Amino acid sequence: MQRRSLFRRAFDRPMTSMEKYLLAIILVYIVIVAVKNPQFFSLETLFDMIRNGSGIMILALGVLVVLISGGIDVSFTAIAIVSGYTSVRLMKVLGFDNLLFVILVAVVIGAALGSINALLIHFFRLPTLIVTLGTASAFHGLMAIVLGTKTYTAIDVPQSMLDFGSTSLLTISAERSQYSLSVFFLIVLACIVLTWFLLYRTMLGRTVFAIGSNQESASRIGISLLRTKLFVYCYSGFLSGLMGIIYFSGLSYINPVSLIGTELMIIAAVVIGGAKLTGGEGTILGAVLGIIIVQLFQSTLVFLGLGASWNNLFFGSVLMVSLGVMYYRQRQLNKRSLVFSSN
Amino acid sequence: MRSLRNLVLRDKELAVLVFMTACVILVLYITLGQRLFSPTGLQSMSVQVSEFGFLALAMAIAMLTGGIDLSVAAAASLAGIMAALVMSGQIIPVTDENSGILFALGIVAALVTGLLCGLLNGFLIAKISVPPILATLSTMILFAGIGMAITTGQSVPVLVPSFAQLSTSAVGNIPIIFIMMVAAFLIVAFVLGRTRLGRRIYLFGENEVALRFSGVRSERVILMSYALIGILVGIAGIIMTSRANSMRVGVGDSYLLQAILVVVLAGFNPFGGKGRIISLAVGLVLLQLLSTAFNALMFSPYAKNFVWGAILLLVMVLNHYVRHWRLRQPPEKPSPPASIDEEESRPSTILVSDR
Amino acid sequence: MIGKPLLTASNISISFGGVKALRGVDFTIGEGEILCLAGENGCGKSTFTKIISGVYTPDAGEIKIGDETVGSLTPRSAIAAGVQVIYQDLSLFGHLSVAENIAVNRMMHDGSKFVRSRAMRDIARQQLERVGVELDLDVPVSTLSVANKQIVAICRALSMEARLLFMDEPTTALTGREVTRLLSIILELKARGLSIVFISHKLDEVFKIADSITIFRDGRKVGDFQANELDELSLSRHMTGRDVTYTRYHRTRPESEPLLEISNLSRKGNYSGIDLAVRPGDIVGLTGLLGSGRTEIALTLFGLNKPDGGEIKVNGKPVILKAPWDAMKHGIALLPEERGSQGLFATQSVEANISVTMLDRILTPMKILNHKTEKALATRVVNEMGVNNKDTSLAVANLSGGNQQKVVLGKWIAREPQIFILDSPTVGIDIGSKSEIYDKIHRLAESGVGVIFISDEPEEIVANCNRIVVMHDGEILERFDESQVRADNFKDELVQIINDPEYRVHQAAGER
Repeated sequence: MQRRSLFRRAFDRPMTSMEKYLLAIILVYIVIVAVKNPQFFSLETLFDMIRNGSGIMILALGVLVVLISGGIDVSFTAIAIVSGYTSVRLMKVLGFDNLLFVILVAVVIGAALGSINALLIHFFRLPTLIVTLGTASAFHGLMAIVLGTKTYTAIDVPQSMLDFGSTSLLTISAERSQYSLSVFFLIVLACIVLTWFLLYRTMLGRTVFAIGSNQESASRIGISLLRTKLFVYCYSGFLSGLMGIIYFSGLSYINPVSLIGTELMIIAAVVIGGAKLTGGEGTILGAVLGIIIVQLFQSTLVFLGLGASWNNLFFGSVLMVSLGVMYYRQRQLNKRSLVFSSN
Repeated sequence: MRSLRNLVLRDKELAVLVFMTACVILVLYITLGQRLFSPTGLQSMSVQVSEFGFLALAMAIAMLTGGIDLSVAAAASLAGIMAALVMSGQIIPVTDENSGILFALGIVAALVTGLLCGLLNGFLIAKISVPPILATLSTMILFAGIGMAITTGQSVPVLVPSFAQLSTSAVGNIPIIFIMMVAAFLIVAFVLGRTRLGRRIYLFGENEVALRFSGVRSERVILMSYALIGILVGIAGIIMTSRANSMRVGVGDSYLLQAILVVVLAGFNPFGGKGRIISLAVGLVLLQLLSTAFNALMFSPYAKNFVWGAILLLVMVLNHYVRHWRLRQPPEKPSPPASIDEEESRPSTILVSDR
Repeated sequence: MIGKPLLTASNISISFGGVKALRGVDFTIGEGEILCLAGENGCGKSTFTKIISGVYTPDAGEIKIGDETVGSLTPRSAIAAGVQVIYQDLSLFGHLSVAENIAVNRMMHDGSKFVRSRAMRDIARQQLERVGVELDLDVPVSTLSVANKQIVAICRALSMEARLLFMDEPTTALTGREVTRLLSIILELKARGLSIVFISHKLDEVFKIADSITIFRDGRKVGDFQANELDELSLSRHMTGRDVTYTRYHRTRPESEPLLEISNLSRKGNYSGIDLAVRPGDIVGLTGLLGSGRTEIALTLFGLNKPDGGEIKVNGKPVILKAPWDAMKHGIALLPEERGSQGLFATQSVEANISVTMLDRILTPMKILNHKTEKALATRVVNEMGVNNKDTSLAVANLSGGNQQKVVLGKWIAREPQIFILDSPTVGIDIGSKSEIYDKIHRLAESGVGVIFISDEPEEIVANCNRIVVMHDGEILERFDESQVRADNFKDELVQIINDPEYRVHQAAGER
């Protein structure tokens, strides 16, 4: 029997080329940063990154599921804000303070908004990008009209959320400061495992791949497109709702007009992880690596002596080159096998 | 009368759009008459619409080719930043003598930047075969990144005094930039309707593969389209800079959604090959009227956003019904009917054109 | 009919956008019967299949499965009733594994919520055993050959305990040996009591396995026949509604130098060592099964498939064809294999579809498109080609298949090519348009154009070509010149070679 690599044994599949490529970029980048600035190599940096990146990591999982189903969703940040903010407001109106309640309300609202996306996409056969552009504005606009856009600073943020944001799994004390691994890490892990389980271990998850692979074939063998799409967009909405609470809790600051505008960045991160817009393809590891790259640039360019204003330049370049490599290969392959593709 | 009837029948979507616009004008005239339709009101509307009109035009061309350009707003602000930098005195000190030259240089800088941005998109799409959404997504981030790296997010002021006048001066009562926009619409309409490039843009959007099989350099069509988009975006950048007399990253980002909205509203098919500039012009008028009315009614920007999103969805749903009301189609066929009769499709092992 | 009736459909009608696709069709199949559904392209076979599988809901009619009347079928209820359809495109999921493709349907209908990979693999293994084929269960289906994909599709259908299996043109993309394997699997399934509706336009296969034959024409049923009641001639007469005889093409031009000469042309994985010459007035038939390399050569000659080695000469001069416009510069035109995706701009006007190859000719001195000239050009082409709809501003999608093809032909003929490659020019076209198109091609050749005619229909090749080249596996298997083509029993020989190229290969090896 041939020897299998550690990766194969752990993941039961070979590593995709995009994953290898991203891993290489991450390693090279880390080496460069570490050489330039050894301070980078600290648990503090790692814990910081985990804490700051956990929100977008959760969103990225939702994006991945949507991309695998062959769609593209740009409304998830709006859903995160709308469900997070609405549930906090609801709790304030009801006059009590319970983390579980706020999370539950947020994920329910998130899933409900996601189902609106799914219904529009399914019944009117509309391009998913344009539908979700529309719903993003509509959802957020409606929230702003109904609830206003009042911000809450740490004093007004519900105590349970503040506690949630500062809960740590493990705290390491150093000479002068102490840093801790946020509880968010556990939640992200749970979400990753849940997504993996849903996608790879449930029939519903397999139908997501199936409709992304070939929607017509899927309906021919009796897969309900509506049911699968409802699942896809509700799940994305569910994760967004969860992220909304994590986001507000982590910042200890509730601003209902934040976050929106970062959706394309998160989609980009998932896309360089190897998820194709044409559906059926994409891996969780790829999405995780993509988010790690975004997060690395966001939090470590300082170590290179570059300000935060260089983030987009770095990420944009990496994104462009990655996409270039990925699609140029596809192009050569198509040329060879005489596939006259029109993207 | 007859010819009018023919006109209506020939393009039902345009007719519906014109009718809607007329209704909106009527309602607004009754409710907000003085405030909206006074000479100054019209003038300020025509200034506002111009800035956005160029971006809408750019997005329309992208959609005709079956693509989308998410980078229009980012490229416009980058072009504006380049123009502003030239005229900011940061590179060359502004004096009375050289202000004319700097003015010209600034405009050239913006146009060249826009053109380069467009060419980069075109290159990625045509030569590397990156899907337009992803190509322009990556360049959107890149352009914003370049702008950010150059300016560190600060606003770049324009010190050439005459530059701001570009957006304030008028011929008679008509603002110059409005005239520019009308000219741009006429030129683009002419290019699309009466030149080989225009024809090929439509055909590319309809069926890129068939275009290649007809011996047309289809990659060049895309490069040229995005170059044209780039120039329009550059002009938008100039106007935006001139109106604010400064420029910074992120200005105009909110136009992205609106640009897509107005193009879809005007009946352009997001899958390419269909759409008319005249419809776009009507759609733009409609959008601007509403926008101005919302301002007059003191709508918050979020409320406006809600309305834009709702309109976008409504229009798409309406278009869906208009399409299906005309022709009952086999139910499971998605979007544009690419092939003709399924009886005729052959097993395709190698020569499939997959989307 | 043998056995009890398994499925009875009576008086089925459906129309799309005002066009009646099926009019009052009756259909019955018994248990353990192989029924061949025959008919020309566009006769309603596929539409009927989609009604039985629940994709379309008929406007009128009744379907009975066993003794039970089912109102209208949905994909799910059809599957539950034991109806399985293997479409031409096989409807597999390229990104999923072999095991998953086979078992996903079964597990879904068993109501599994979770993926049980052992059960999945068991189902897949079991079904593969039933058809006696071994495949790696874990590879993605996209990496399989067409023949093996077909096997996966059959296994998936079998896993659903199918009682009635529709197979839509299952052999088109298979080689001779693969066809033999498939047919024996089908007979095996029949022996186990499965009913099979076999849809094919290859008459020899039909006669090899069918118990009975039902013929459709223009959305109506012509009749039900026992297989032994019909022969190829009567079958094709029933299918087309008339005795079809085409005028044979004979080259009449004086001997001359070749227009196009290909020597030792090769491209790895596509074809190798191809020698071919086309003189003015030649119609060279290039035939062979799908994947034999015929289309790949056509693409090379049109600049879309760069060769690795060899030489192409046009008018005696070597040329390099890197792109379609290079080919066009040398007077080469290609009518592509897939009309819908490669030849037409469906929602654009007939004018735009015709002028696309000649935009330079419809310019005013100011380099502006002249719509009047364009209309005149389109009108001329439409008249010359005999397109039945004369309104050139109409979207080409509104035309029938035959008329669409005339438009695509016309846009090339109007450019006056000297070498015209026609790749499967009459696929999915009614008989009337077919003979008009043949006629047009004959006249073109008589005027001195060199034509390469690619097709896998022997009748068509024999009727239209004065020289014939049979390809197999990327190489030229056999050539026939004018005198051989004119021989009496030539068609039978050609049929035999096309359908069983390996036999010919072995024969040649044996002789040596």
